[in-house]
Formats: sequence, C-alpha cells, structure tokens
Amino acid sequence: MKKYLFIVKTQIIKSLTYEFNVYGNILMQTIIMITSAYFWRALYSGQGVVGDVTAESMQTYIIISSALSVLLITGVEQRIGRSVERGTVATDMTKPVSLFGMFFAEDIGSIIALIFQNMVPILLIGSIMIKVPVMADIRDLPLFVISVVESFLINWLIAALFGMMAFSTINNNALIQVKKHLIRLLSGSIIPIWFFPEGVAKVLSSLPFIYIYQLPLSIYIGRGTRAEHLAQMCIQFLWLVILSALFLFVHNRVTRKVMVQGG
Amino acid sequence: MIDVNGLCKDYTIKKKGAGLSGALKALVTKNTDVIHAVRDLSFHIDEGEIVGFIGPNGAGKSTTIKMMSGILTPTKGSVLINGEDITKNRKEVVKNIGVVFGQRSQLNWDLRLGETFELLRHIYRIDLKDYENTMSVMDDILGIKELLDKPVRQMSLGQRVKGDLVASMLHSPKVLFLDEPTIGLDVSAKYSLRKFIKEINSVRKTTVILTTHDLGDIQELCDRLIIINHGVMMEDGNLKEITDRIAPYKTLVVEYYDEDAPEHEKCEMISHEGNVARYRFAKSDITAADIIASLSSKKAIKDVSIEEAGIDDIIKIAYGK
Amino acid sequence: MGKSFDTLRHYLDVTAVNIKMAFMTIVEYPANIAGWFISNPLQFIMGFAIIKFVVESFGKINGWNYGQLAFLYGLSVISHALSMIFFVQGWFMGWFVIEGDFDRYLTRPLGVLYQFFFTNINIFGITDLIPGIIVFIYGCVKSGVNPSFLFIIQVIIMLIGATLIRGGIYIFIGSTSFHTRSAVDFGQYTQEIMDKTTMYPISMYPESMQFILTYLIPIGWVSFYPVSSLLGIDNGISSGMITAFITLAVGILMMLLAGAYFNSGLKKYESAGN
Repeated sequence: MKKYLFIVKTQIIKSLTYEFNVYGNILMQTIIMITSAYFWRALYSGQGVVGDVTAESMQTYIIISSALSVLLITGVEQRIGRSVERGTVATDMTKPVSLFGMFFAEDIGSIIALIFQNMVPILLIGSIMIKVPVMADIRDLPLFVISVVESFLINWLIAALFGMMAFSTINNNALIQVKKHLIRLLSGSIIPIWFFPEGVAKVLSSLPFIYIYQLPLSIYIGRGTRAEHLAQMCIQFLWLVILSALFLFVHNRVTRKVMVQGG
Repeated sequence: MIDVNGLCKDYTIKKKGAGLSGALKALVTKNTDVIHAVRDLSFHIDEGEIVGFIGPNGAGKSTTIKMMSGILTPTKGSVLINGEDITKNRKEVVKNIGVVFGQRSQLNWDLRLGETFELLRHIYRIDLKDYENTMSVMDDILGIKELLDKPVRQMSLGQRVKGDLVASMLHSPKVLFLDEPTIGLDVSAKYSLRKFIKEINSVRKTTVILTTHDLGDIQELCDRLIIINHGVMMEDGNLKEITDRIAPYKTLVVEYYDEDAPEHEKCEMISHEGNVARYRFAKSDITAADIIASLSSKKAIKDVSIEEAGIDDIIKIAYGK
Repeated sequence: MGKSFDTLRHYLDVTAVNIKMAFMTIVEYPANIAGWFISNPLQFIMGFAIIKFVVESFGKINGWNYGQLAFLYGLSVISHALSMIFFVQGWFMGWFVIEGDFDRYLTRPLGVLYQFFFTNINIFGITDLIPGIIVFIYGCVKSGVNPSFLFIIQVIIMLIGATLIRGGIYIFIGSTSFHTRSAVDFGQYTQEIMDKTTMYPISMYPESMQFILTYLIPIGWVSFYPVSSLLGIDNGISSGMITAFITLAVGILMMLLAGAYFNSGLKKYESAGN
C-alpha cells in the first residue's frame, strides 16, 4: 500500500510541474462550459420545461458536468499502449508493484492534482459567470458522492479494458478514440439522453455509459425521484461488478499471454 | 568556409523547488534564471578540415553545433557558411550541409531505409545519376546497399547510424555536422564510422565538424580540436599544439633495485611505490637522457620508460581551467 | 515568376512522395485501418443523430430547420476532415517541440511548417470525410438545394477557406508550445469548442460571443456565414456569392498570421537534450 501511496504522491508532483497546462486547461474548459451554457439557454429560449428539466437546472447540469469531467480523465489506456508498443510490458509486469495497480495509483494522483488545479477553478468560474450550481436536494449528497465514486471506477475500468486491447492490435489509438466518442456522446456528458427518442434512451439505459455522467448529474439536479435514483444506482453497481469481473478475466488472460510470449 | 563571429546563446529556465511544496510554489511565482550556454565564440574553419568540439557535458558544444547547422537561433552573433548567414538564409545555406545527430535519427521508422533516401532525393532534387553515384561510393565504404530493403525499425543501432550517415551525404554537402556520432556504437561500427569520415574528407573534401566524448575519435580523426567549457573556448589547435601548450611535460618512470629512490632538482617526483618512482619534467628544461644520467650516477637503475601526456590528461587539464 | 513556379513544382513533387509514404505506412500496420474506419464515422453519425434528437425535442434552432442544420453539419464535418488530413499535426506540435523533432526539418531546404504538416500527412482523415459528405448530400436534399455549377464552386472555395481557418487555429494553439515548452495537447478541447460553434448556427449565441467568433477568432467563417449565405438565410454580416470569397480571404489571413506566429516561436526553439 505504501508503494502505491508513493506513486500517488509522485504523480501529484509531476502533474503540478506543468503550470502552462493548468492555465491552458482552465481557459479551454471555461470556454467550453460557457459555450455550452449559452447553447442550452438558446435552445430553451421561450420554453419552460423540456424533458422534465428547466433551463435553470440545465445550467447547473453543465457546470457540474464540466467539473465532473475533470475527475473522469484517465491515462491508463495510453500507458498500456505505450508499454506494449515499446515492448517493455514483460519487464513492467515483473516489477514489485502490480502494473495496473501502478496505473491506477498514477491516475488517482493526477486527479487529486486536477481537483485543485482545474475542478475548483471551474466551479468558481461557473458560479460567477453562469450561476451558482446549488444541489436540488442536499439530502441526496451521500447518494451523489457514492454514484460519483462508482462512475469514476466504471470509467477507469472501461479505459483499462480498451487499453488492454493493445495486446491484440498493437496500436490502440483508434480504439481509444472509439471509447472517447462513446463516452462523450452516449454518457449524457454533452447532451442528456432524456432528449433522445424513447427507444434509443432505453437501449442506452442498459449500457454502462450513462452511469458515468448522467446518473450522478440527475441526482444533483434532482431529475427523477429518489426511488428512481436508487434503482439506477443498483444498475450502476451491477455494471461496476460486471466490468470488474471482465477486467480480472481479461487481465489474467493477458498476463498469461505476456508471460508465455515475453511481450 | 565557415565563419563564426561572436556567437552567444542564452536560455531562460524556470527555477523550481523540490517536492510538493516546491511544485506548488512554482505554480504561482515566476522565478527564472538565464543560462549563458555559449558566450562569445569566434573562429574560422577552412574547407576540408576535420574539427572536433570537445568539452564536458553541458559545456555548450551541442548548442554551438546546433547554431552552426541552423537549428537554434543565436542570441547574438552570426554563423556564415560560404559567406552566407545561416539564420537569415536558412533554406539556401542548408543545401550545403549534412547533419547526423547522435541518437536522433532522420530515418522513417516504419518504412524500409530506401524510402527515406527516396524522400531525400526529392527534397534535395538529386538527379538519379548523381544519386546512383553517391550510393555506389557509400556502398563501397559502408556496405549500405544490403540495408536498403530493411525496415528501419528492425535495424541495429549501428545499421541505423550507417543509414543516417548516408542520408546526410546524399546531396553531397560541403559541410557535415556530427553530434556525438559514435555514442553507443560497438567497436566495428565505430571503425566503419571513422573510416567513413576519413574517406569523405579525403575524397570529397567534405569539411567535418563533430562533437565527441570518445578519445579514439579525437585521436584518429581530428586535425583540429576546439575545447569548450562553460560556453567559452578554452583551446583551439591541433592535438600536438595543445599538448605542448597546456601539458608540456613528460613522465619518466624509473625502476630501481630497492625501495630507495633519489630526488632530482629539475623534476618533480610525482609518485613512489615500491621500487618504482615517477618523475615529471618540462620538455623545455631538460632532456630525459640528462635525468637518467644524473640519477644513475646516484643509484643503480634497473629499467626506465617515458610517458607522454595522454589525451585524457590534456582534456582533464583543459576542463579544469 | 519562373522561379516561384519551379519552387511550387518542387513542393508538389515532395508532397507526392510524402503521400506515397503515408500510404505505405498505413499498409505496414493494417490493424489500424479498421479502427479508424469505425472510430471516425461513428463519431459523426452519432453526432448527427444527436442534432436530430435535439431538433425533435426543441423544434427549430434559432430558425434553422433540420434540413438546414444537416447542410451546416455536413459542410462543417467536411472542412473538419480536410483539416484533419492536412493540419492535425498542429495538435501535437508540443511533442515535437519538447522532443526536438524540429531539428531535422530545420536542416532541410524546405519550409519548416510545410515539412511538419506534410511529412506527417494524416491520410486517415479521409474516414471523417465520408460521413461529412453523406450528411451534406442528405442536407442538400432535405433543404431543397439545387446544386448548380456556381453553387459547387462556392462550396469548394468556402471549404478551402474553412480548412485554412481551422488549420490556422491549430497552428496558433500548437505554436504556444515554443513559448511554454510544454507538450500539452488541446486538440480535444479545440474540437469540442469547434463542434458547438460550427455545427450549430452561431446566431443562437449572445452578441458579444458572435462578435468574438466573427472578428477575433473567426470560427464563424468556418461554416455559419458561408452556409447561411448559400442557403439564403440572413446572417446580418454577409450574403451572396461574396461570402465564399470572404471565407477564403479570412482563411488565407489566418494562415499568414499563424505562420508568422509559428516562425517567431521557432526562433525560441531549443531543440532537446540541453
């Protein structure tokens, strides 16, 4: 455990050294957030409630979604790809720390740095320039926090699974892009799927993506009843279990393959 | 051929503290340092010379060679190649230069070696006849033709360096810049690289400028050495001149029959272990024969030998200044 | 005149070799082909579906109906695809700066920016082009556009201009790396912003933002102004044939400015290993 904490700390320091990235990222994320806010204001102009949500709630949704996107950055898929491409994967696997444990610790470290570098500034800027994103019902806070932690884990596992495809196709850049688009467009991060036709929304509800963004955001803005949220969180948890099992399964197979072939 | 006038290069770097608190502080403060990597270098290089730039790590020799080949823009001063300023007229001037930079290859990693050559042939507008000529010359020196169909990613380091050397010579440049070309190479690869440099220098009159840490390169190749430290020129001349100037002494090693060794007023005994004593003397003061005569009159001598100041001594002295 | 014609021929000749090499590289790694052919079209087909869903939920967007939006989206994706083919390297300029990869371009007798983009030409950008063209044709049919010869000429001219504007923006953002010496890649963010400002009419945004997008960061000219002129929708700035040419002029201006900024950055280039 101590080793992993050390990796976390090292990664925090590493992330903090790129000062320009920090300011550049904040600037870019601010522009995106404000554009999105105007985008929804324009769509809502003259219409009170669309898809059971008011224009005001949608503004909150955008701010929290922007803040959440900071938590959902992963480096694991690129790290695996690089280690396979350079052929260092076999030696990496014989290190005293587990390979994926190390990647996980690194991602945690990056995110801790990002919370202070990006998330807090984004929330502040959003509050000043758009609106203060208050939670619809503060009693839902525990649910929100739990669902965010789960969405982080689901997101990480999906990234790790896509990353492990590097073992079969050598260069996994295109697959990483596929993953990025799937999450970007089907998770509700940009457009909530309640604006999608019912059939499509139903299909998407059975996929893991909306449990990354849309579920915690729905809890935050109070769309739906608590019972509905709890039901969705059960599905979210189910996905977490399924993805963990899948991860372990693929991980063991890949490890065996690497050990036999030597990368 | 090449004129370097008052060349300077400054870098601005950001100061950073150690650890988490240092990283946090650097985020909000703006603390910068100016590093003078090269300060006021001036020299002239004639056509057909082989010049070695030597100096410790961080001395500014890479920075100098990168300014001379147009990669870095000088903070002050100028580099003229054939009378033309490389900073002002880069596209024209670089037609006359070839560059091989140590571990940075210009070969296309994914494709066969021949494809990179084909691209360069079009970039430098080399007609097919000249290209074939150069290739057959290169094949004689380096045996490059058997590598043409090999993908670069499957080549050994030695083979890639060969590929890079040929790539840099395809357009028959007048000047060839090499930044630590022998780094990481095995003995036979070093041998063919040195042979290559000597050949193109004598046959094509190519001026060669290289930086190196390898004493063998210096001994075998360089007509002239420029020693740089802290961005300043310390010495400029051929190996013998520099040796005479900064290390004008020899060492006489004398073996006696017992542990007792006499002193001599004109030289310094630098070590005395067992039956062997070492005396250092200035070449201008006294000859070895005189010392031996004088010592043997005091004590019976079993054996003698004379050591010249080695190249590593020279470098040590020059770097230490 | 003879000399500049000769220079042009030289560059075209080298470009042909570069394109040939790019194809050979693709053939070397066939596993990537399937990946890009799934990934890129997927992105735009889903993106287009989302626009449909938004229109279904909210009705017209600032007076633009679904067919007109498809037309806008299609042209926007086409110029995006072209910018991906020629200029996507701009996103990764930071890596080249940090790793010292400009060394080799600087020691060759061609323009540095030209070599940077064309030795790394991204043939896979074609996979973005396909969905763009499909949606564009769909938009033409839906919005009842009759593609005359003159219309096609206008579309081509505006596409060149739009691609140059996008390329110019990538160069501007990439060139900051010379000053910051950091390898950060703002590509995803840039695209996110571009998506919102080129795939929807910018007239839906507040006037201050429209002003910025028209005069300061001329993204409005990538799709909104030329497309609204083509469709005969009033955009308050420019209408008719002239708009395509203004787009082209803005594109050329952006390229010149970006090139100047790049060159000023190149003077600060420090190579690697110092």
